[in-house]
Amino acid sequence: MLISTEELADGITRIELDGRLDIAGAALVDLKMNLIAGSSMKLLIDLHKVSFLGSMGLRTIVIPGRSVKSRGGKVVLFAPTQMVESVLKTSGIDSVFPIHHDLAAAIAALK
Amino acid sequence: MSQHRSPAPTMTGENTATFEPQLTIQSRLDDLSLVWSWVETLADLYSIPAEVQFAIQLCLEEALSNIIRHGYGGQPNHAININCSRAGANDLAFILEDHAPPFDPLEYSAIDESPVPASIDQLQVGGQGIRLLRKFAGGLAYQRLPGGNRLTINVTIRT
Repeated sequence: MLISTEELADGITRIELDGRLDIAGAALVDLKMNLIAGSSMKLLIDLHKVSFLGSMGLRTIVIPGRSVKSRGGKVVLFAPTQMVESVLKTSGIDSVFPIHHDLAAAIAALK
Repeated sequence: MSQHRSPAPTMTGENTATFEPQLTIQSRLDDLSLVWSWVETLADLYSIPAEVQFAIQLCLEEALSNIIRHGYGGQPNHAININCSRAGANDLAFILEDHAPPFDPLEYSAIDESPVPASIDQLQVGGQGIRLLRKFAGGLAYQRLPGGNRLTINVTIRT
């Protein structure tokens, strides 16, 4: 499981996750996700390279996302695969962190 | 120690590649990696579509981690047996057996009935595993065994 970040315009931080967000994968990136979330108010979580998502992987997204939103920030989820999106929608977190498949729309939602 | 078990495979399918239909892991989350390679072999053998393989892995991760964390209370080195068999022409049945105290994961279904969160405050961090299991499994059944538990997960591999 890999994690990288990119600072975009307008104070947006893009986090790209790459690999399996299963129990082992979630443990590898949880700390870094929380550190990034602690210093960002606009988070774009790029999921297009995430090949698997389970309930522990959901926590990896929800906990830092909730941290940002509790401080008045915004979080969007970008480009999950069909199955990953199905997991997100089953959990209901898409109602709190909107899913976008178009990058311009994702960025616009954070402004 | 984790091990593949004999006897030799008895499943009949489209392919004659070797596949052990039974796998035994220990009650450690690290052992789940053994299950993934086992499922990949199964998926190759039956030409299982990627989205069905995803569903199988999801169901097994949620069910097995529940057994490890709740059934065995996080104690390592207790055996969990996983058996895979054909259940009709298009379904596979995964039977998970353990020797933990009585533990029916399907009873922990309160979240399954909860509404979709309307706000960040209502978004539940825990308890999503059973909701996912119910969504992605084709069928679920729990049976209390003498000295253990059996959970059967059915998955449709093609329609």
